[in-house]
Order: sequence, then structure tokens, then C-alpha cells
Amino acid sequence: MRVTAEKKRETRRRIVKCARKLFSDNGFEQTTTRDIAGAAGIAAGTMFNYFPTKEALAMTIVDEALDEAGTEFEGRLRGDETLDEALFAHVAVGLRHLAPHRNYVGEVLETALSPFAKEAVCEQAQQLRVSHLETVGELIASHGLPTTQAPSAMTMHLYWTLYLGVLSFWAADESPNREDTLVVLDQSMRLFVGSLSSESKNEREVIDVVDVTQNR
Amino acid sequence: MSSMSPKIAELIDALPVESQETAEPGAALQDLLRQLSHRRVPVGRLNRLWVLGTLQAKVAAAYLAWWLRSGYASADKRQRTLNETHLKAALKLLGGMTYLRGAIMKLGQIIATHPDVAPQQFADVLGRLHFEAPPMHFSLLREFVRSELGADPEDVFDGFETKAFAAASLGQVHRALLKGTDQRVAIKIQYPNIGRTIRDDFRNMMAFLTPMRLSGDWDNIKAQFEDIRHKLDLETDYEQEAENLRFARAAFSKDEGILVPRVFPEVSTKRVLTMEYVGGLHLDKFLATDPPQELRNQFGHKISVAVVRLCDAKNFVYADVQPGNFLFMPDGRLGFIDFGCCHYESDEDTAFKREMERRYLGSSEADRSPEALREPIARGSDLTAKQAADDERMKLIVQFSDWAWEPILHEGPFDFGDLDYFRRGAAMYGEALRRRYTRSRPSNTWLIKCIFGLRAMLARLEARVDFGAIFRAETTVP
Repeated sequence: MRVTAEKKRETRRRIVKCARKLFSDNGFEQTTTRDIAGAAGIAAGTMFNYFPTKEALAMTIVDEALDEAGTEFEGRLRGDETLDEALFAHVAVGLRHLAPHRNYVGEVLETALSPFAKEAVCEQAQQLRVSHLETVGELIASHGLPTTQAPSAMTMHLYWTLYLGVLSFWAADESPNREDTLVVLDQSMRLFVGSLSSESKNEREVIDVVDVTQNR
Repeated sequence: MSSMSPKIAELIDALPVESQETAEPGAALQDLLRQLSHRRVPVGRLNRLWVLGTLQAKVAAAYLAWWLRSGYASADKRQRTLNETHLKAALKLLGGMTYLRGAIMKLGQIIATHPDVAPQQFADVLGRLHFEAPPMHFSLLREFVRSELGADPEDVFDGFETKAFAAASLGQVHRALLKGTDQRVAIKIQYPNIGRTIRDDFRNMMAFLTPMRLSGDWDNIKAQFEDIRHKLDLETDYEQEAENLRFARAAFSKDEGILVPRVFPEVSTKRVLTMEYVGGLHLDKFLATDPPQELRNQFGHKISVAVVRLCDAKNFVYADVQPGNFLFMPDGRLGFIDFGCCHYESDEDTAFKREMERRYLGSSEADRSPEALREPIARGSDLTAKQAADDERMKLIVQFSDWAWEPILHEGPFDFGDLDYFRRGAAMYGEALRRRYTRSRPSNTWLIKCIFGLRAMLARLEARVDFGAIFRAETTVP
């Protein structure tokens, strides 16, 4: 029997919906792919046609939430934000959309987005990283920092590390309404923007030296 | 003594590096502000303890250095050294307060309002803090408001202004309209985490006060600090402030020209306070218009009525009398805003106050003689029998009490612009602090803040006010 594209989409949606509920009820580690397949009414083997790993499935849920967040973020930009404010808003809106998954998403992100991982755990994690950093790069470019080239790989690694630090703080934050996360996020983004400014300054100094040399 | 030595050694080690050249004070301040411009409120007690530790040690060490050096410095040089030390300490303290906000900043504002209690240099530098707290950007504010009110500020209100129009030490204030109405409102929004910041600051401060435990008055000092901590804690509770505003608003009729803003509880929480917007000039801007004496007197009268009414008739001590909390409205009304720092008297507090009123306002001269005042004042200050028997101590406290009552007993308008009056009180208060006459009932801390704050405001306004008439009209003592 041929499975239609529509039927496939429907099965995929059902798997994601069941996984979301099971992760939320039982946690990421305690939920098996067999549990999810059972809840979705499909054979365990069939599930791997849709999601090769449990991490890939979880990251799909994260990705969907962050997609919605991205749309909201773009719609909310006023155009007069400073760079640190724009970066803050980008992450803060994402955290808000991830909030319904907070009780298990920390475990997922720890596994899938670890800065120590040499290779991406799954394609979804890699996509998320690339897409997030692209947005950050666009925000930096749109704020017209006086750099002659895109921020260095090391600078972006610093950003990514700060971002993961904020995510891990948020996942364990027990302050009222997670207000401490807002402060940590604000400090982190200011720190990052500060590092960009010093990078620009160093670069300017190099350019000055070049100019002096050329004028001789 | 041996147990004290390491602490002194630590202080000396923590001394700020002395510069050989005399920097311009303004340049030093600008430099410090530049350094601080990117600092944010640190999270976590350990981090904050480190910052406060460094700061407090530097301030203490700067004073210690002055004290040690002044022993052999010439008089002129001594004054010069003192000025330098004060300025450095003020800069360090300002740095810490901008960074730490919370309790330290609030205490800084208190010092700044009492120009002669704190050295002049302190006041000059700290005075800037009233409206210069670094702002939250709108995205941070929006997330915070959303978590408090359940929706973004621009959805809860109409015309929400993304830029704050005033900064407060514990938050910042934005203008908007109540949704679907023409009612202009001011929305005070607290910095995230500030409540716990204050609690941490006080735990840290208590840790730094450890050496004072050697004093026999430690329990009393601790009780006073505990009371201040409790009040500052209440200041972070905007529901309590809303209650204070409602209480104070009901104390004034419309024709008195004293406006306490109305609260809108449906869009307020413990950390977001929505009030009626009150427009007007703060003291500095009002004075810059070179107002005629008559207008100064009228506003001085209203400020006095406002504070005395609450304190005397309503047993509610408004302890935050400072320029940031009064607005000189164009139609002549006085805007009376910010009710975070208030104290509801206990029955015991009120009974002591009434006893002093009966003695000072009564017809018997004998009742207000220094001898007759000793016993009730000693009781009201919670002194031990030994302290109450100390003639020097009692003389100073009674003199201070007489000073506080002077404008009330004065016949006709009292000239608060005569700085000699304020300086005499400040000198006595300073002398009491130098002699470590710090024992008192916790409620007196608030009353003294109120007394000094009110007199400092009226002094800056150079107002002539018939304080006695106001007091007699408000007191419930026949």
C-alpha cells in the first residue's frame, strides 16, 4: 500500500504531538522511542523513518518553537534598538516560546547543542545553530558596527557559548518568573557587544597603522 | 587588640592607589562613570559580596588613612586631605551604588539629601543619583512586564512610551494612557531581581558590621539595621506602596492643593505600580526659574502640611523627604509622589510622640526644661540606665530634641533659608554619631530621617513657613 504525502505529514505531526506530551510528563531521559511509537500508534521501526534519533525528534520540537519565536521577534522589532537590546530580544522571545518545554528541554539542549561536541548530534541541532548564528550575524551587520568584515569565528563562538550559558541558567532558574535569567541574558549580551567593540577597535588600530605606512 | 590588627592591616592593604597629581574632581567622576557604564546588576550573593567587600574596604581604608595622617598634618593641609579623602570615598561609594543599586543606592540618596550631615563632597556627588540610575532597555522591560501583567506593556496600555521619563533607585517610570481612556498614568517598573538584591546587600552589610559587635550596643544597632532592612524590603513591594498611597491620598482634601496620585490596582502588581501621572518640576528645575519668595513660602507651607499631617495626625512617618519625591505643579499644587519608604507607628511610638508634644507645647516651662526632658527622652531612646545617667550624652540628645522643636516653638514664620539652623542640627547629629551615641528605638531612625529630610528640603527652597501654626493645627494634643 502506498503511503501518501498527506498521510506521512499526518503521522509525523502525531509523533511530534505524542513526544511533546511524553517528554513533558516523564522527562526526556525517561521517555523511550518505543513509548513514543506506542502512543502514536505506529511500529517502533516505522518511527525511525521519520526521526532517526530521539534527539532529532526533540530538536524538531525545539526548532518549531524557535521558528514561531523568530516570526514574533521580527514582527516586534521597532528599528531603534541598540545591538545588545536586539540580541536580548532575539533570545528572550525564544526562551518564552521554549517555556512550555522547560522541564525537559535542558536535557535535550545539553545533549544536542554541547559546545564540546565535535560533530552535531543531529541535523536539526546543526540547523538550529546555523540559523541562530545567521540571525545574530544579520543583527550585527544591520547595526553597522565599524568592522570591515564579518565577526570572527572566535567572536561567534563566544556568542554561542554565552547563549548556551543563558539556556542552561534558564533551564535551572528558580527565581520568580525566571527574572534572574533576564538579568543574566542582559549582562551576557552586553558582554558580547562589548567584545565586538574591542574587536572593532583593534581592527581600526591595524587599519590606522596600514594608513600610516601607505602615506609614507 | 590583637584580634583587631589583621582587620586594620586588611584595610590598609585595600587602600586605593594614591595619585601623585591632583586630578580635577569632575574629571575623576567622569572617568569613574565611564568605567561603570557597562556594568550591570550582578546576580548571586557571592559575586555581590566580593564587590561590596572591595568597596566598603576602600571607603573605610580611605577614612582610616585620613585619620592616621591628620594626626601630624597642619590645619590647612588637614582640611585639604580631608576633602580629598571625602571625594575619593564618595566616588568609590557612587561607583558601588551605581553598580549594586538596591539598598546601597537608597542609602546614598538619604545621605545626599542631608547636605551637612554628609561631607559636602559626598552630597555633591551623591546628589546626582536621584535621577541618573542606568535604564533598562525596552526589550528587558517588556519581558518583565509581560511576566507581571500577563501581556506586553503596549497591549496593556495605550501609547506606552518606550523611553523611561524618570529613573528610580529601585526601578524606572514610563508614561502611558490607561487602555481605552484619556487617563495619563505613570508606571513604575522594578528592576528584575532587585528585592533579593536588597536582602543580599543587608546580609553583606551585617557581615561587615561584625567588628561593631564588640560594642555593648550591638543588639540595639542590629535592631535598627533590621528595621531598615525590613523597610527597604517593603519598598520593593509595590502592593504595599499602593496601600501607602491610598492611605496618604485620603489624608488631603482637594482644596488643599496637595496631590497624592491615585493608584490603578487592576494594572499593578507587587513589582509594577500604575499611578495617575502628575506633571510638574522637581526642586532643582523649580529653583532654576528663580521663583519669588511668596511662591517658595507657599510650596514650603504645602510640603510642611503634607509631612506633618501624615506624621502627626495620621501616625504615618514619611521617611523619604527628598527632592525627587515632590513636584512643583504649574497650577500651584504640590505633587507628593513615591510612598515606598514609610513607617506606620506602633501604639508605643505614638505614645512617646504625644508625651513629647505635651511637654513642648504645654504651658508649663518646667515640663520642657532639660532636666524634665531627660527621663522621657532616655525612655524614648531605649537607653540603658548607665547611658541615661551619662550627663554628656543626655545633654546632647536633649539639645538635639530642642533643635527639632525650634521651628515649632518659633512665633510666626520660621526662616528655613537660614542655614545656620540646619548646620547646628547637623553638627549635633554628627557629634552624636562620632561619639557612637547610636542607641535608639528603631522608629526614631525613621523620624530623624523625616525631620532632617523636611528641614533640608525647606532649606534648599529657602522657604519661610509658620511651622508652629501648621503643627498646632495638625496635632491632636490640646
